[in-house]
Amino acid sequence: MRLARILLIAAGLLAPGPGRAELVLVASVRTAAVEVSRERAENLYLGHATTLADGTPVKLIDLPNGTLRDDFYLKLTGKNPAQIRAYWSRLVFTGRALPPREASSTAEARQWLLDTPNLIGYMERTDVPPGARILQRLP
Amino acid sequence: MKPFHALLFAFAAITPLAARADTPSPFSLSGFGTLGAARTDNATRAFRANSVSDSGAGASFDLSVDSVLGIQGSLQIGSRLDLTLQSVVRKSPTGSYDPRVTWAFASYQATPELLLRIGRTRLPFFMYSDSLNLNYANPWIRPPVEVYSLNPLSDIDGADALYRRQIGGTDIELHAYAGHSAMNIRGGSANLDKIRGLKASFSRNGLTAQFSYAQADMSLRWSDAHFLSLQQALVATGYGAIVPELSGTDGKTSFMSAGLQYDQDRLLLIAEIARRNVDRYIDTGMGWYVTAGYRTGAFTPYLTVARQRETSPVSSAVTGVAALDIGLAAFNAGRNKAQRSIGAGLRWDAGRNVAVKAQLERIQPGPGGLGIFLPSQLGDYLKPDGPTHVLSLAVDFVF
Repeated sequence: MRLARILLIAAGLLAPGPGRAELVLVASVRTAAVEVSRERAENLYLGHATTLADGTPVKLIDLPNGTLRDDFYLKLTGKNPAQIRAYWSRLVFTGRALPPREASSTAEARQWLLDTPNLIGYMERTDVPPGARILQRLP
Repeated sequence: MKPFHALLFAFAAITPLAARADTPSPFSLSGFGTLGAARTDNATRAFRANSVSDSGAGASFDLSVDSVLGIQGSLQIGSRLDLTLQSVVRKSPTGSYDPRVTWAFASYQATPELLLRIGRTRLPFFMYSDSLNLNYANPWIRPPVEVYSLNPLSDIDGADALYRRQIGGTDIELHAYAGHSAMNIRGGSANLDKIRGLKASFSRNGLTAQFSYAQADMSLRWSDAHFLSLQQALVATGYGAIVPELSGTDGKTSFMSAGLQYDQDRLLLIAEIARRNVDRYIDTGMGWYVTAGYRTGAFTPYLTVARQRETSPVSSAVTGVAALDIGLAAFNAGRNKAQRSIGAGLRWDAGRNVAVKAQLERIQPGPGGLGIFLPSQLGDYLKPDGPTHVLSLAVDFVF
């Protein structure tokens, strides 16, 4: 009985918690995107590219500062929060790229994905609005 | 430039309202800054972050050398056209704190690889030219003056094209630009006209190599008391023919640089070498530096070794008249920024948007001038003496 409880707790610690579903990259409802490779996604979120592989211009969404955003950049680009902040500051303040649009909450990001074509964002899989297409999974 | 600032305030006013809409706002507003203090251990040597300021830090902490505040607004018009405006407040070479528009351009994404820009951008002669005020993005307190003081003009008004593509895993960026640049300095003015240049960068796996070449027509007009009295003396004694070597509007200049940066995982290595060729008004010189840093958690200690050397003075004219030749020697020495330095520093990424830095440098000015320092007496240019130590502390932030 006791062992079972310890195992349960251990499993709970190892598995993603109930609020920590899988992170996914997602395209807004009216985006013509067929496919976005992981490499293209990385290029988009590092400011190297502003279009999809077929040349369609897209805009990016960022979530507010927090663990979801930090997780996303770490998984996609391998850069920690301080590195990604310094990296994007350089791009933005040297006139190279415009930063992703920062939503004030996941709810706002969902709303944008429903209403604006050619937008790409990221969120937990359980938060993806109906009609939006999952492009990449970032387990 | 007043309308630009009005526009920036308009961006600021609109952004918070637009942020609650159903679609992302086309406006964005952000900023950056540094609160920095620097001091030397020699009250007769004022340390400067550039070669043209008429004041600097002496033997007590001075906030004016490195402190800077910048605000930037951007507006997206459609999917390909953007407007960007940046204004910066920092002590100007003439001592004023008037805001200066540092970027003001329209950019057009002509193809996925090609970005065209028109307006005011940054003169990209060196590897870190673009981020001169943006200390948060750089490891040091300030880019090493041995290279960066070779060109005191930071803006270019004109047009440029940035071509970026990936070939076999290597990111390539070609940057071609043309335009003109002007700057007021106390006791003179500096202009670069018909600037045309090319910069090429190659990046792969954290390693970036960069090459740059530019040429321009140059005007440098001195009107300080020392120059005016020297000019008067030269003309009065029949040596007026030397004056057009010292000040005027017929100069030609070129800038060449090569840089290497390795920034991956824990190791940071940066090396850059640059050369300024000039046919009159200012000296021909070259500078280089090497920086090595190591990231351990939120701390990045670094070491920098740097040098600037003069390869030919402003004027090599000799009159044979002792008083005139001393005046010419002082004029040459005042424009010779040769120095060598070794520095150690620490960057601490204290928070998500804040870096705290401390840096100590040992700078040996000369030979033949006082380096980046401003003397308390003109005659000191001719006797550089021993090394001066500079201690700098800074908090860099972005918002």
